[in-house]
Amino acid sequence: MKVEQRWLMLASVVAVAATTAALVAAATGGANSGKASGSITVWVDAVRLPVAKLYVKTHPRVKVNVVTYDGDGNGATTMQTKIQLWNRTGKGWPDVVFSEQANDPVWMSQPPFDFALNLKGVFPASLLTGWPAPSLAQCTVNGRLVCLQDNLAQEVLYVNKKLMGQFGYTVPKTWQEWAALGAKVAKEHPGYIIGNIGESFSHWLYLWPDRCPISQVVAPKTVRINSANVQCTRMAQLLDPLIKSGVVPPESVFTPSFAQKYGGDTDKILLMPGPTWYAKDIFGGTLKVPAGEMTAAMPLRWNNEAPTTGQVGGGPWIVSKHSKNVAAAIDFVKFATTSLAVKSKPGALSPGFPSYGPAATVWLKNLNKDPYFAAPPGAAMKAAAALVWKGWSMVTYPDQPVWSTAVVTQLVAGKSLSDQLPALGEGLSNNAKAAGYKVVNK
Amino acid sequence: MSSSAATSEHVEATRTRGLHVPRGLPFVLPYLPFLIVFGIAPTIYALELAFTNVDGSWAGFDNFTRTYDDFRFIPAFKHILVYTVVWLGALMVFVVGLALLLHGRANRVSATYRFLFYIPGALAGAAAVVIWLFMLDPTVSPGAFLLRDLLGANIFAQSIAPGNLPYIFAMIAFWTGAGGWIVVMYGALNTIPPDLEEAARIDGAGPFTIAFRLKLPLIRKWIAYMLILSFALGTQLFVEPEIVQHASFGLVSDTWSTNQLAYQLAFRYADFNGAAAIAVDLLMIGLLGAVVIVTRSGLFRAED
Amino acid sequence: MGIRLLGLGARTALLLVFAIFFIAPVLWLILAPTKSDNALITSSPFSFGSFHNVAQAWKHLDAYSDHLYRRWIANTLIYSLSATAITLAISIPAGYGLALGKFWGRRLILTVTLVVMIMPAAALVLPIFLELNALHLIGSVFSVILPFSFFPFGIYLAYIYYATAIPSELLDAARVDGCGEWLTFRRVALPLAKPIVALVFFFSFVANWNNFFLPYVVLADSNQYPITVGLSNLLASTPSFNPAVGGGGQSVKIFKPELALATLLAVIPVAIVFLVSQRALVRGTLGGAVKQ
Repeated sequence: MKVEQRWLMLASVVAVAATTAALVAAATGGANSGKASGSITVWVDAVRLPVAKLYVKTHPRVKVNVVTYDGDGNGATTMQTKIQLWNRTGKGWPDVVFSEQANDPVWMSQPPFDFALNLKGVFPASLLTGWPAPSLAQCTVNGRLVCLQDNLAQEVLYVNKKLMGQFGYTVPKTWQEWAALGAKVAKEHPGYIIGNIGESFSHWLYLWPDRCPISQVVAPKTVRINSANVQCTRMAQLLDPLIKSGVVPPESVFTPSFAQKYGGDTDKILLMPGPTWYAKDIFGGTLKVPAGEMTAAMPLRWNNEAPTTGQVGGGPWIVSKHSKNVAAAIDFVKFATTSLAVKSKPGALSPGFPSYGPAATVWLKNLNKDPYFAAPPGAAMKAAAALVWKGWSMVTYPDQPVWSTAVVTQLVAGKSLSDQLPALGEGLSNNAKAAGYKVVNK
Repeated sequence: MSSSAATSEHVEATRTRGLHVPRGLPFVLPYLPFLIVFGIAPTIYALELAFTNVDGSWAGFDNFTRTYDDFRFIPAFKHILVYTVVWLGALMVFVVGLALLLHGRANRVSATYRFLFYIPGALAGAAAVVIWLFMLDPTVSPGAFLLRDLLGANIFAQSIAPGNLPYIFAMIAFWTGAGGWIVVMYGALNTIPPDLEEAARIDGAGPFTIAFRLKLPLIRKWIAYMLILSFALGTQLFVEPEIVQHASFGLVSDTWSTNQLAYQLAFRYADFNGAAAIAVDLLMIGLLGAVVIVTRSGLFRAED
Repeated sequence: MGIRLLGLGARTALLLVFAIFFIAPVLWLILAPTKSDNALITSSPFSFGSFHNVAQAWKHLDAYSDHLYRRWIANTLIYSLSATAITLAISIPAGYGLALGKFWGRRLILTVTLVVMIMPAAALVLPIFLELNALHLIGSVFSVILPFSFFPFGIYLAYIYYATAIPSELLDAARVDGCGEWLTFRRVALPLAKPIVALVFFFSFVANWNNFFLPYVVLADSNQYPITVGLSNLLASTPSFNPAVGGGGQSVKIFKPELALATLLAVIPVAIVFLVSQRALVRGTLGGAVKQ
């Protein structure tokens, strides 16, 4: 064989091999490679907008239409109304949706909405193992994996190490110690606070850790709502004097008046139960608490009982069943949840503790290194992840609006939490029944 | 200039030539499709939806009883009732009162005031609500002292306490709507012949008497017209509570008003039949109010 | 004399109080974008900040979601002007025909129009949505423009105007001259139409500009929103007013000055129309019978 012929043969063999490999790769799921193409529509909230923008920048082959909406925050029902609209007109569904409401995927995956795609078998299985089992369980409805959590939002106890040291207080480990400290603070340092109860999700911070059964699915379409249960009433009784004395005010950290009264230079936040995503963005960003003061400690437990904690959100990513470009949709979700370009550092791209394990490790490392904190807060966060009480189920109706309208408004008016528990239970029951659930007490 | 004989022939000719088109009808024809598609058909459709089930079968009054039993129904109607009463009251008292106050004054001063009252009308809807979100927040509002003294509110959440909401929404509606109606009432007052006023004054009537015993009854029709339209608008309240709901982190429910409830039923629960039942409820109330106001004020009497 | 002065004083005081009530919030709105977010809380509500702050606020607002704000304003202009054009084209002739015509169903059409005017929006928007869906118009701009064009209040205004404003001598003259219907309309109705055109234009444009419920229901894509729905979307999507459960979002720089600026800019077009039409309004509302 002449030299040219040999080279030609070699070249053709290589060409055939390469083409075959490419074809095989394409056939076995383009979702595995960054070779996604085509166009997708993505609905995100304002917080996830930087992530979407980064994807657009780094994936020029995919045409992404990014739409910002309210994220169904605070129990809004925007997505429900929109999906109904699209279902009726038979078109318009986005390919990817981010929701701030952890229970959105529950109704999204059931009729009449029927919106969520089963990710099992579509999303790379090797990556799925990176999610903690409870997180995957939260996204599993009727055996189908209908979402992937963006971040873990377990509750920890934030501590202002500097102020606590200054006043000579020790960090409480139990709710009882915390309440006792609160009574002390009210006398010795009035104006300082050890928590707040004015959020639309404050019940997740105080009632969820104490295993209060007001959102517990016990059978298909049957939910247990019992706000008179001792697990609820005892926590309310613990909180009432603290709310009254002002050390746990019924205000929200997101209001400008809060930052004025307790944040910034006023610096009056001693302790605060809160989710992992408070860490830098709320204390540093929203409240402007000075650097070198904050850290996180283990969540509080009830006396000697086994510790359980609550959870505030976690942000599910949902892919639409109607998507015409599932490959690109999956690629987007993969990028948003696992890519280190997004998840490595606490900040605008990743304010919360990533659900994806390998990314979480990097994120925690950077969080602990961050000079903003007085002490590394990561250990407490990592430990708390396993403590979230599983008895608070995701249901098809939002419970935040009931807490806000039935409880917070009354706390603001000076009533006690114990007095509002019946109204809370009734409101939740009404909403449950309107959503087609059967309500039981036990 | 044709001769009259030729003219009348011509006129006759146009009348009888070809198809006799009723006078004026061609001008109205373009309007009719719109009236049918966006006025009559939806009304009939709403009625049909209200009395049928999802599958189209006859439901009788089921949708009405079902929505009535919904735990959000009575509160929503209560809210709208208080809101409408407060708003209509404010319109009647303040709009008419201000118009009377402005009438008869030096014209340039009066015109300036009318213009100032009128400006917020440009900000109806979402823009007005956003402004009032700021006005109701004690941390930024120029009226913070009023919020503290009148409402006892030191934070926004207190300003929008549930008991305050109907009054707040009525105030926002008044703020945007009053100016326009003041202009209308002022114009109506201007149609009163000045001799009547002169005669009354000569008879010794004071300004109050002239205002209430002479002018007021003469603009009765306009007041009735204002009340009818405002009553209908009042029951339609949607954008104000919807926006305040978003801005208050959920402290205001998304089914505060009847219209919001209908919207949620239709688009969240896919219960168009229930939503239509509520709409028909509102229509009945609107019509009832209109009938009451029309008969009590004689609006259609001697209409020229 | 004393009582008269007292009365005068009380009158002035009352008028001033109301003037402040109506104007103070508008004044606040105009001054708000000149201050920084922090200054809005700390400094006096009626202080003037700087033009630099206004420029900054605009930069942030414009940067929101790829100049989405400009799209919203453009959309609203398109919807409002198109719908108003259609409204004028059908309302002026219809008002004339109803006022001066003689045909069966004239009274009926007037009554139906009046009834439809007082129907609550919830009753009409939802069936209209289903109708538009059946016509495959959902998603197109016509799902907004066409319903907007239906403006029964405009019909009624035109009807009242033509019923009262046309002197019978003019009509008779036209008839005597042998004018057919269309010529009569051109010779008599159109020249007199200026005030009513201004009036209907004003009311229709303002109603379209401020309409919230219909676009809120039928438009799913935020790129198609008019400014009213856009404002509420802005409010709901910015962490300053609707904090994300998920934290942060400080990269979306929409704070109070930006929202105030968004509101202010949203009302400028309609405010212009407002001021320009004011004269025609005051005269036109009562068919020219107002004495100055």
